Amino acid sequence: MMFRIFAMFALLLAPAITTLDAQAHGPTRQKVTVTKEIAAPPAEVWARVGNFQDMSWHPAVHSSTGEGDNAIDATRVLTLGEAGGPTISEILYKFSDAKMSYSYRITDVNVEVLPVTNYSSHLTVKPGADGGSLVEWRGAFYRGYPNNDPPEHLNDEAAIKAVTGVYEAGLNALQASFAGN
Amino acid sequence: MRFKPVLQATDLLVAALYVCFPASSVALAGTYAFVTNQNSSDVSVLDLESQTEIRRIPVPGKPAGVAVSPVHGSFYTVSPDSKTVHRFSLKTCEEIAHALLPGGPTGIAVAHGLGKVFVADWYNARVFVLDATTLSHVADLATGSAPAGVVVAPKEDWLASAARDADQVSIFDLPSMNLRHRVTVGTRPFGIAIGPDERLHVANVGTHDISVVDPDTGAVVATVPVGKRPYGVGFAQGLAFSTDQYADTITVYSLETLSQLTKIDVGEYPEGIEATRDGSLVVSTNWFSNTVSLIDPATQTVVGEIETGDGPRAFGRFLYSAPEGLEPCRDR
Repeated sequence: MMFRIFAMFALLLAPAITTLDAQAHGPTRQKVTVTKEIAAPPAEVWARVGNFQDMSWHPAVHSSTGEGDNAIDATRVLTLGEAGGPTISEILYKFSDAKMSYSYRITDVNVEVLPVTNYSSHLTVKPGADGGSLVEWRGAFYRGYPNNDPPEHLNDEAAIKAVTGVYEAGLNALQASFAGN
Repeated sequence: MRFKPVLQATDLLVAALYVCFPASSVALAGTYAFVTNQNSSDVSVLDLESQTEIRRIPVPGKPAGVAVSPVHGSFYTVSPDSKTVHRFSLKTCEEIAHALLPGGPTGIAVAHGLGKVFVADWYNARVFVLDATTLSHVADLATGSAPAGVVVAPKEDWLASAARDADQVSIFDLPSMNLRHRVTVGTRPFGIAIGPDERLHVANVGTHDISVVDPDTGAVVATVPVGKRPYGVGFAQGLAFSTDQYADTITVYSLETLSQLTKIDVGEYPEGIEATRDGSLVVSTNWFSNTVSLIDPATQTVVGEIETGDGPRAFGRFLYSAPEGLEPCRDR
């Protein structure tokens, strides 16, 4: 089911498994792009999503704490699901109000929460049809297992499925929140 | 048997034909790019003069590494997912041979005169040495952890490989293949190239800079800051061009002063980069945008763009100057 995001059932996993070495990575970088039409002008949508320190529009994110606002090298730690839930640490490396776009990468995540390594992502709001918006969320990443012959839950397909699930869940919720406009 | 070279007919004839024709000196006429598209598992053959894709060749196993060898009438690709090196005819673009390698084959380079192909094994800290014709396994060279890029000196008197997780470059003498130097460079070196000054330019993904290494002494003679996550380096008209993967730029630096001059905006996740032999054009791939950018080194501006398959990497020497009147992939 698309809406059920990987991070949510990861909550059920008992004690965290040690994060794999963030340096090594698998042989083939993967990419995912998810685009949704939103029934609101780009400026309004950007006002909702264009703050690196506020991911409250994503249903899987319980809370976000961070430093540096929207400056380059700003950081945030997302807590997923509920207080005390698993976390994802991220850093901002591009931000443009003019282009309505920001880019960030994950600095720390347990692969049992999100089965990726070397993950970077862009979120962009573009003009859509009839005065609406197109929101595009793109990610580039390697699978969770850095070595040869990955187990099934840490292979390329698992990584693509998990990231797609995160993007779909976020953008579907965003779409729904503007649906009455 | 773990190594399985498969030789097909006609390759020697093709090689002989290509060696006999002098190369064209006309600017971009007869210049082609062989771009490995990792996500769509194919190779785009691009005509740089007409700026069109003339052929899409299916290559299984997510190819990234590539090396063109006119001397052997071939281009070689490396598919890490299927752990296979493929040798294709430049003339027909059909496969001549392939070899299954254990581990994680990644970067590739050819010593044309010596008739050897060198392939980095990402997972086993070594470089495979293969016969350039049959792809049969000849030897292994021990490197640091996670070797990626491989280069062979133009005079074929040395080769080098960057080991990403060892922050190190290994330089070997040729033809002896004895270790000459282990050089500590910046953090996480991946791509590697040899400048017209015959020095090594090593792209350090972790420290966002280029280590310039003297291959004779093994000394790092300069460290040049570039954009975020540099992957490849190309050279033209006294300049070096690094692809900055996270910055979506190419950083231009002077080979004379080894200092940064300017940045050029290109597509997303720029990766493989090489200049044409006459230095009139720099070609770089954009992994996320599925394009190559064509850059005029004189003006340092983007003068064209060609669409490719999904996820163009072109990790290696991917440009080919065809003998006059010969277009690759023509004779079938």
